[in-house]
Amino acid sequence: MRRIALAMLAGLTVAASAHAAPRANYVSLPSPLAPLSASPPLSGGATAAAEGFRHRIAAKTRVDVALDRTGAPFAVTATQRLDVRVLGDYFFTIGAPVLDVQAAPGSASSPGLRSASILWAGFNPGRRTLIARATLAPAASAPSLPLRIEVTRGRVKLVNTTGVTTGSYTADALVPPLLRYLAELQRQVARGETPTSGGAYVTSKPTSTTLRIVVPLRVTGTVGTRTVNTVVDGNALILRGGGPIRLTVTAAVPQQLLSDPAAGQSGRRLLERASRATLTLARMRQYQTFLGNPDPTGANETTYAYRSASRPAPPAATIPYSPQRDWTTTIAVVIGLLAAAAGAAALWARS
Amino acid sequence: MTIVVNAPFSRSPYLGRTIENGARLAASEVNAGGIPIAGTTYDLRVVTMDTALSPARAVVNMRRAVAKHAVAVVDEGTGIDASWRVARSAGVPVGVVFEGGREIIDPETRPNVFRIAPTDHGVAFRLAEYLVPKRLRLALLHDDSDYGAAGEQALTSAFSQNRSSVAIDETLPSDALDLGPQVLRARRAHATGLLVWGRPATIAAVLTAARSSGWNVPVFTPPAGSDPFIRQQLADHPQWVDGVTFAGGRLTAEVGTGPYLGFEHKYESSFGVDRVGVESGGRPVIAPPESAMYAYDFVNLLAAALLKAGSTEPAKVTATLNEVTTEGANGDQRAFNRHNHEGVVDDDIYFARFQDMIYAPVKDDPLSATLPTLPQTQ
Repeated sequence: MRRIALAMLAGLTVAASAHAAPRANYVSLPSPLAPLSASPPLSGGATAAAEGFRHRIAAKTRVDVALDRTGAPFAVTATQRLDVRVLGDYFFTIGAPVLDVQAAPGSASSPGLRSASILWAGFNPGRRTLIARATLAPAASAPSLPLRIEVTRGRVKLVNTTGVTTGSYTADALVPPLLRYLAELQRQVARGETPTSGGAYVTSKPTSTTLRIVVPLRVTGTVGTRTVNTVVDGNALILRGGGPIRLTVTAAVPQQLLSDPAAGQSGRRLLERASRATLTLARMRQYQTFLGNPDPTGANETTYAYRSASRPAPPAATIPYSPQRDWTTTIAVVIGLLAAAAGAAALWARS
Repeated sequence: MTIVVNAPFSRSPYLGRTIENGARLAASEVNAGGIPIAGTTYDLRVVTMDTALSPARAVVNMRRAVAKHAVAVVDEGTGIDASWRVARSAGVPVGVVFEGGREIIDPETRPNVFRIAPTDHGVAFRLAEYLVPKRLRLALLHDDSDYGAAGEQALTSAFSQNRSSVAIDETLPSDALDLGPQVLRARRAHATGLLVWGRPATIAAVLTAARSSGWNVPVFTPPAGSDPFIRQQLADHPQWVDGVTFAGGRLTAEVGTGPYLGFEHKYESSFGVDRVGVESGGRPVIAPPESAMYAYDFVNLLAAALLKAGSTEPAKVTATLNEVTTEGANGDQRAFNRHNHEGVVDDDIYFARFQDMIYAPVKDDPLSATLPTLPQTQ
């Protein structure tokens, strides 16, 4: 983490601007696009074979998570819908710890299966919908889910697992450019546009620091008879009672960071807030892309559906056939063995 | 390591030779660097075996290939319904590069059989997709060869939802020299288009019967329509070939003609050009090495699988063929996977029409309209 922070510092552009106040240096803010961890997206994300052009792709994924009595996931399936635009051939590889994959209803083509990916290949006449329903290895995919559910007697605990500690920097900074950038970021997010990177004018030497980044999760549904409609952030949410769980989870925009009043906040404080906002957006983008999108700039949306379910019964144990032997046979065998032993002893005594 | 090419060298010499040449070209390129496996660098050696279009001979050849410890077999497809079991028993992968029958490929039951060639299913459905909106009443003519029978099956399935587009469905004797009566029956059924699925000789005979009777009906064919044999047969009447439209696997990718022309150049430098024996605009016509391209791609995938598997054990190589991707001779990605052993996707089937003994992609189909015309004269 420290190395990341140092690398970020090393990468800062320290070109003085004519428009900035004297002795203010321009520095880049953390990217709102760069992932903060290897996963999600699963297995390195997606790739498209370059054939001289790029398809525009909007991806929507629904992740169904089956929970056992303790809330532990035991089955994970992901249904990914790719809305592919731009005429031409396509060859997409979607990384995932996939056990099986099938075309879902409405898909214009069938996906291929590899040990660690889903394949799509074909020709797009202008617009094509590709829908894959993939059964994922639970052990490999569950760590990338945004919410952990722990069920104990009389309570259900919802734990946000999107948190990650990452490197950043702190410094005194000019307030107006940061306010402008935060406002622009807010506009872009509201319009559903890809957020752009920004910068700040610092008036002191930046020093490295670390930030804990957590994506707020919008959680709706029911736990038993209780209706849930809340945002789960860094603090776990404990619900009293129990019953079947039916919860839908989406990564939420960090509205507080983007739109809370900034009046009276120092430049240093605003710099941290802007950094936190961009990093949280980057993290949010990761959880909106549980399965990779072959178009790096394409729109992504992922909904996680957690449902209580019964673990499939293990296959019935096979009882090996063993022939029954009655007591007379057993006695006969024992007598035979004793006789053989006596004969062997007699032979040995004479030898 | 030995790769066996199992093809009809004596009965379809052009096809057999072009498959062999494609495999040899890829092998020579792979051998330039060799295949390093567990401290040993291996070369690929190509051995040919003639099926003479006989399924029985194809099976015998497969046994010989297994006895030679072949690492893979590149196969035209004749007799594959029986020969694949022989290869399976030794774990040997088989790459089919011509026959398109649906039953040939089944990753579940025939995990060692792969194909890089347009499928009959894909060709038939693309033909239906292309022809039904034209409101033609089609005569579906298929010969009684294995190829024609597989085509009949594919066409029946493809047109099952559009029977009103079918005027007549007829089986043609593949050894008949004159198909006048059958073509006449199609005309009397008020057909406004002929879809002929058969060996090149059958297609040539249908064209002869129709055109010689003054019937200038549009004719559509599967990939066999581009076989040089048809143009050779009709060399005295080049106008009879004009307008014939065939469906085939695209020869170029989105990146343009560069990769394919590069492959063609290497092919011609190594083996010379395949002359059709007719002229267009006063210049000799040559045949693009299509089936060679598929054999070439299969051998390259095989080499990639050998490298990735790190083993020469055929069963391991077969399993690894599901996990590798290479760039094909035409610039397209070639790959198999556990669900699909088809290297040519149905979407990649295009249509081309003949004019003056050479063909060009049609403009009234979304894929074909994006494709360039390849040079076909010297």
